[in-house]
Amino acid sequence: MGDRAQDNRLRRRAFRPALTVPFLAALCALASGLGLAQAGRSAPPELAGEAVRSTKAAFRRPADTPFPGTNPFSPEKEALGKALFFDPRLSRSGSVSCATCHNPSLGWTDGLPRAVGFGMEILPRRTPQVRNLAWAAAFQWDGRADSLEMQARMPITAPAEMNMTMDLVIARLKAAPGYAPLFRAAFAGDDPLNAGNLLAALATYERTLVSPRAPFDRWIEGDEAAIGPDAKQGFALFIGKAGCSACHSGWRFTDDSFHDIGLAVTEDVGRGAFAPPSVTAMQHAFKTPSLRELRMQGPYMHDGQLPDLDAVLEHYARGGEKRPSLSFEMKPLELAADERRALVAFLQTLKAEPVPVALPHLP
Amino acid sequence: MAMIPRLFPGVLVLLLGTFLLAAPARAEEFEVQIHHTEVLNPGISPRVGDVLSFVNHAEIAHNLYLTYEDGTVVTLDTQPPGTTKRAMLKQAGHVIVRCWIHPIIRMEFDVAPH
Repeated sequence: MGDRAQDNRLRRRAFRPALTVPFLAALCALASGLGLAQAGRSAPPELAGEAVRSTKAAFRRPADTPFPGTNPFSPEKEALGKALFFDPRLSRSGSVSCATCHNPSLGWTDGLPRAVGFGMEILPRRTPQVRNLAWAAAFQWDGRADSLEMQARMPITAPAEMNMTMDLVIARLKAAPGYAPLFRAAFAGDDPLNAGNLLAALATYERTLVSPRAPFDRWIEGDEAAIGPDAKQGFALFIGKAGCSACHSGWRFTDDSFHDIGLAVTEDVGRGAFAPPSVTAMQHAFKTPSLRELRMQGPYMHDGQLPDLDAVLEHYARGGEKRPSLSFEMKPLELAADERRALVAFLQTLKAEPVPVALPHLP
Repeated sequence: MAMIPRLFPGVLVLLLGTFLLAAPARAEEFEVQIHHTEVLNPGISPRVGDVLSFVNHAEIAHNLYLTYEDGTVVTLDTQPPGTTKRAMLKQAGHVIVRCWIHPIIRMEFDVAPH
């Protein structure tokens, strides 16, 4: 190795602070510690204490919501974005708003196995919920959008969804006298009522949609009584034997990664449509969804093909359909009935009390 | 005839020096370590022809790809835990390394001409 490489070894820096080896070691230690506790034994107190502290830190909610420098937060932008989110005039039919599918009464989704699009056509994928996206690294089930601003345009202009053009949306909003003052309040410039600002306002509002504090959060912050022993056992399984946290990591319980988890194949190849054909791992790969605010009644997966949590756990226990694109992390595992119950108990602790959402008065 | 042995060492040194000056610089190999979804960028300054070796210390698989300034994408195979994948740098300019599986992974550096 040459001098340049020697120098380089001394100047490492982390680009993306994420799960590190010490953290993963702590996860394993916590998992084994909790498992030992379940079995009536105890882990070495100093190891368990440190493991618990570092693991809890990795699942602790952030204090603030991040907004990009290119689209900083303002209350005026949030108010405009909220009006737009609930306004059906953004669709060609004038009857479908973002909130039609991302319905706050249904956990910001629609509760359906697959979304219903323009002309009541059933679409190939399930409507994802839209909370905690301010922290997301990739958008859409296949990751084809790199930002919320880019994502916001897609359903509006997709022929199978809201089936609009941005020009027509802007023309409609200009015809509604109340919108111009909202755009002027939120954005500078001579003609702020434009497509770019509309998408920026929508993205800003979506970034404000953050899961309320759940029992799990209170446990992470030190309230041992916030979750029961079954949920604690479930968390130990989640980060240990079951391996769920390999992808469902961090406080959002997703690392925004893409995997083929061996579901029944459809014509939808997911991220495979955007990756070179040689990237086998992306065939039938879809984004790891967050597990916060999980609708316990299902349905689950990108196309709603698994109706309930029992089916989900059985799928992971079997390890998915074997094929070249199957994720390396998908391995069969034994999950006893009490372990499945514990995992479900844990998932329930990620659900907070619903927060009322005041509907906006549309211009 | 007696001159040849006396001249030979000098000629040899001259020829060797010419060869060393004319020979291209030897390609270097830079090691980049991956821990979970964290790429530890050693702050590399490679040249065209150098090799990056990505060592996956994570317990999960990765599938890295390099995007050159002109849009050329070079994809490495799926990289299970404990394996190393190598990529020879083919173009000068800015390069972005990402992972098909984990979009959160991102590493950028510049490649100097050979």
